[in-house]
Amino acid sequence: MDTSPTSRRSFLAACSVTLAALLLRPAQAQAAGAARPAAGPHPAPRAGITGAKVLTAAQLSKTPDLIPLFDAVREVPEIIDGIRCNCGCGESQKLYSLLSCYEGDAMARACTICQGQGRLATRLHKLGRSLDEIRIAIDAKYA
Amino acid sequence: MHARVSHSLAVAVLVVLSSTPARAQIRASELGSVSQTIDGTKITMQYSRPRARGRNPLFGTKIVQWDEVWTPGANWATTFEASKDVTLEGHRVPQGKYSVWMVVKKQGDWTLVLDPTSKIYHMDPPDSNPKQVRFPVHALQGPFTEVLTWSVPDVRASGGTLAMDWGTVHVPIKLDVAPSLPVAIAEADAQPFLGRYEYVEKQPGGKTKTSTFTVLYENGTMKGEWFPEDNYMKRFALIRIAPDWFVPGLYDKNGEIYEVLRPEMVIEFTRTTGKATSLVVRNEDDGIDATGTRKP
Repeated sequence: MDTSPTSRRSFLAACSVTLAALLLRPAQAQAAGAARPAAGPHPAPRAGITGAKVLTAAQLSKTPDLIPLFDAVREVPEIIDGIRCNCGCGESQKLYSLLSCYEGDAMARACTICQGQGRLATRLHKLGRSLDEIRIAIDAKYA
Repeated sequence: MHARVSHSLAVAVLVVLSSTPARAQIRASELGSVSQTIDGTKITMQYSRPRARGRNPLFGTKIVQWDEVWTPGANWATTFEASKDVTLEGHRVPQGKYSVWMVVKKQGDWTLVLDPTSKIYHMDPPDSNPKQVRFPVHALQGPFTEVLTWSVPDVRASGGTLAMDWGTVHVPIKLDVAPSLPVAIAEADAQPFLGRYEYVEKQPGGKTKTSTFTVLYENGTMKGEWFPEDNYMKRFALIRIAPDWFVPGLYDKNGEIYEVLRPEMVIEFTRTTGKATSLVVRNEDDGIDATGTRKP
C-alpha cells in the first residue's frame, strides 16, 4: 500500500491549475447552471476601507493557528469587504461583509464557514483573481 | 389621606393594566403557524386553529357545509407562502403568499384553491378567477384531530407532504421544490473526469490512508465510490458546482439524494490537456483533506 502523501508543492500546483481552470471559465459555470444562485448581493467594498480593525496576533493568543488567516485577510480589506458572508451572520448580526467577521467580536475565530471563505478568497487573490471571480468561487462553494 | 390612598391605588391599577399586553385574549381559534425549509425553499402556513370542542362530525354540518368554499382555518383566511416556486400535487405555484381555500365535497375529490390575495376574511371566499391555482386533493379519513392542524409530516430532499387534519379528515398534499443543484450531467461533460484515482486521505496523527477512488457515469449522473468501500458514503452522486468542482450527494436506500456535502467536501479536479489528472478534496474551512492522482 502506497501511503506517501503528495508533496505540498504538488498540492499548491494542483490547486493553482484547478482554480485557474475554474476561474477562467465562469461563464461556462453559469451556462451549465452549476453555480447556486447567490443568497443576496455581495456588498460593494467601502471606499477607503482598511484592515486596521482585523484582530491581531496578540488578540488571537488563544487561537494561534488562526493568526496567518487573519493576517492574510488584513492585507486585502478591499477584497474581503466586497464579499457577502454566507454563514448567516450577515442577516442575524447585520454585518456589512466578510471583513466584519474578522473584526471586533470576530465570528471567524469560531466559525469554520467564515474561516473557509477567508482562506478561499485570500488564496484566489494571491493567484491574481479579480473580486468578481472570487465572488463566483465563494458562491459556488458556500452560497 | 383616604383620597391620597385611592389615587395611589388608581395609579397602581393603571400601571398593571397598561403592562398587560393589549392584544392578549382567549380565542376559540388561536393563531398558529408552521414552516419548513427544503433545499433552500421555505414554505410557511399561517392560520387560526379552530377546535372541535365536542363537535363531531365537523364536515357536512353547519360548521363546514358540503360544497362550501372554506378556508382550512378560521378568522382571517389561512395563508400559504413559498419563498421560491414550488409544485403542489404537480401544479406549479409561483413564489408568493396566497390565501388558502378548499371546496368541500361530500363525495369525490375536494378542490384546493390558492388565491393571490392573501388577506381575506373567512366569510368572503374569493370567486373563481384565472389568477388562482386550483387542483384536486384527496380528503381521506384519519384519526380524530381536535385542533385543526397543518403539518409537514414527510420531508424528502426534493419535497415532502403538506397535510391538513381536522376531525377525522386528513388531506395530504404532495409538495415538490426546485433542486438547488442539478444532479444530471451530460456524458460528454463527465468524460474528462471518469476513471480511477489513487486517493490519499489525511488521518489523525499525521498519518495517511490510501484507497482507490473511482469516478463513473451511471444513469445520467457522475458518481464516485471508494475501494475499499466507504460504508457511510457508499456510491454517491458527484454534483457539479463549478466547471471542475464537484460535491458528493448521498443516496438513501430508495435511490433519493438525502444530503449534499457542500461545503464540507468539495472535490476539485485538475485537468491536463482537457483530462482530469488529479484532484484535491477541500473541507468547509478550505483545508485539504485528501488528494488523488489518476491511475494509469
